[in-house]
Amino acid sequence: MVALKIHPGANAYGVPDAGAVKPAMIHIAGLEKRFKTRSGETVNALTNVNLDIRENEFISVVGPSGCGKTTLLRILAGLESASSGAIQCDGAQISGPRPDAGVVFQQATLLPWNTVLTNVLLPAHLKNDKSEATVRRAEGLLAFMGLKDFAQKYPFELSGGMQQRVSICRALMREPRILLMDEPFGALDAMTREAMNMELMRVWSEEKKTVIFITHSIPEAVLLGDRVVVMSPRPGRISEIINVDVGRPRTLQTMATPRFGEICDHIRTIFGAQSLTATSL
Amino acid sequence: MSASTKQSRGHLLQSIAVAVILIAVWEGACRIFDISTIVLPTPSSIVVRLYALFSSGMIWPHLWATLVEILSGFVLGCVAGLVIGAMISLIPVFERLVYPYLVALQTLPKVAIAPLFIIWFGYGLTSKVVITALVCFFPVLVSVIAGFHSTDKDQLDMMKAFGATKWQTLMRLRIPSALVLIFAGLEIAAVLAVIGAIVGEFVGAQVGLGYLVVTLNFGMDVPGVFAVLIVLSAIGLAMHGLMRYAARRYIFWIRRSEAPVMT
Repeated sequence: MVALKIHPGANAYGVPDAGAVKPAMIHIAGLEKRFKTRSGETVNALTNVNLDIRENEFISVVGPSGCGKTTLLRILAGLESASSGAIQCDGAQISGPRPDAGVVFQQATLLPWNTVLTNVLLPAHLKNDKSEATVRRAEGLLAFMGLKDFAQKYPFELSGGMQQRVSICRALMREPRILLMDEPFGALDAMTREAMNMELMRVWSEEKKTVIFITHSIPEAVLLGDRVVVMSPRPGRISEIINVDVGRPRTLQTMATPRFGEICDHIRTIFGAQSLTATSL
Repeated sequence: MSASTKQSRGHLLQSIAVAVILIAVWEGACRIFDISTIVLPTPSSIVVRLYALFSSGMIWPHLWATLVEILSGFVLGCVAGLVIGAMISLIPVFERLVYPYLVALQTLPKVAIAPLFIIWFGYGLTSKVVITALVCFFPVLVSVIAGFHSTDKDQLDMMKAFGATKWQTLMRLRIPSALVLIFAGLEIAAVLAVIGAIVGEFVGAQVGLGYLVVTLNFGMDVPGVFAVLIVLSAIGLAMHGLMRYAARRYIFWIRRSEAPVMT
């Protein structure tokens, strides 16, 4: 435990890690999100969130349900607006969907009446880009994801894991700099999920991107992330930001190493401490 | 695939067998108990009468008139339902101003207002087309509104995240999503269209299958009435089958078991 390098959430922003030269790509400071419930109560979905994300960094966000992790991602995707605080990309406040961000949702959200290829082409079609080169790129992405033979199939002919791979291809279509993933493998079985984790790391090593990956699985968060943002509920906030000092490339064997286990245990301790306080209160 | 075809063929054979047995029992009972033709005609006498209606050419003008009423009323009612349904779904003001009146209109029994239409539009084709259209209108209207409401929220988010405009979201997501329920409404309307035309003819007509039923009934020609009923249900089945075929073609991504459609 002593060896763990821990950045408490409140101090993380504006303090770049040693060795980081570039300024943060995504800068979140004092972010708040309040919702009004039907009964008129105000719920703090996010409170005082501070986080700086460097270009090409892989950030995992882990936390129990209700901790606001999905809300954070939705604000980053421009699907919701912040109640107050700064949430900037390249120095400009995020105020709506961005062309340089690709989103992967928990459900594959493919359009069932379109073929796999047309689904991948959707972001391009929305920009009226119907060029031959774009179709080539979509086909290339599908081949890269092992879906070459499924381009003309319909989503209902594919398994859940394959559908989610199509959805990742779609997110990568317009060569985004940022990939926002909201529990993308949450609906998959454990075996498929591990395979998809490996697949995602392969994608990330080939096409360097800034990834924000929401999950409720601690091992998944640690396996994938450069840093793991641990969030806690009521009100939604960052408890800790943990550096995953495990070398890359990581494989499923990485999960068996002592260091990996230590980090996972540490995160579990944070959650355990939270639930203890919650019950004692 | 082949197993399920084999199974459905088995089901078909079973239902044909049931029909054959029922008709045989009906025929036998009529003969054994010597039931009067005016009360319940034998299946064989109905078939003979049906053949006579066609071979004498007597049925053709009636069949033709009713078909025209059904088809034009169906098309008119569906188009109106689609257009007004889309307007109610997409223009919020419209929903507030128009929808309550349409619901009030629907609560009126069409049979009760049919005599009014005869007065307004005469004994001819127009009154039957209007009644049929009115009967078809409401299920289509409701299905369009329900269809537009059924758009998946996650898919709406997805479209928004990829920067789709409102128009693009409508064309690429909301309309195709709505089709599933719209086809269910069209299917119901197709069957109701037959009822609408017959109701119109019962109230006042000089031609048509409904008029023919009334006339044959007056003449105590009960086998004739049954024969016309067979023609009417054949029309209803054909309309229904046509809509099902269209649904399978245009909403192919819905597996049959999931289709929210009348069977």
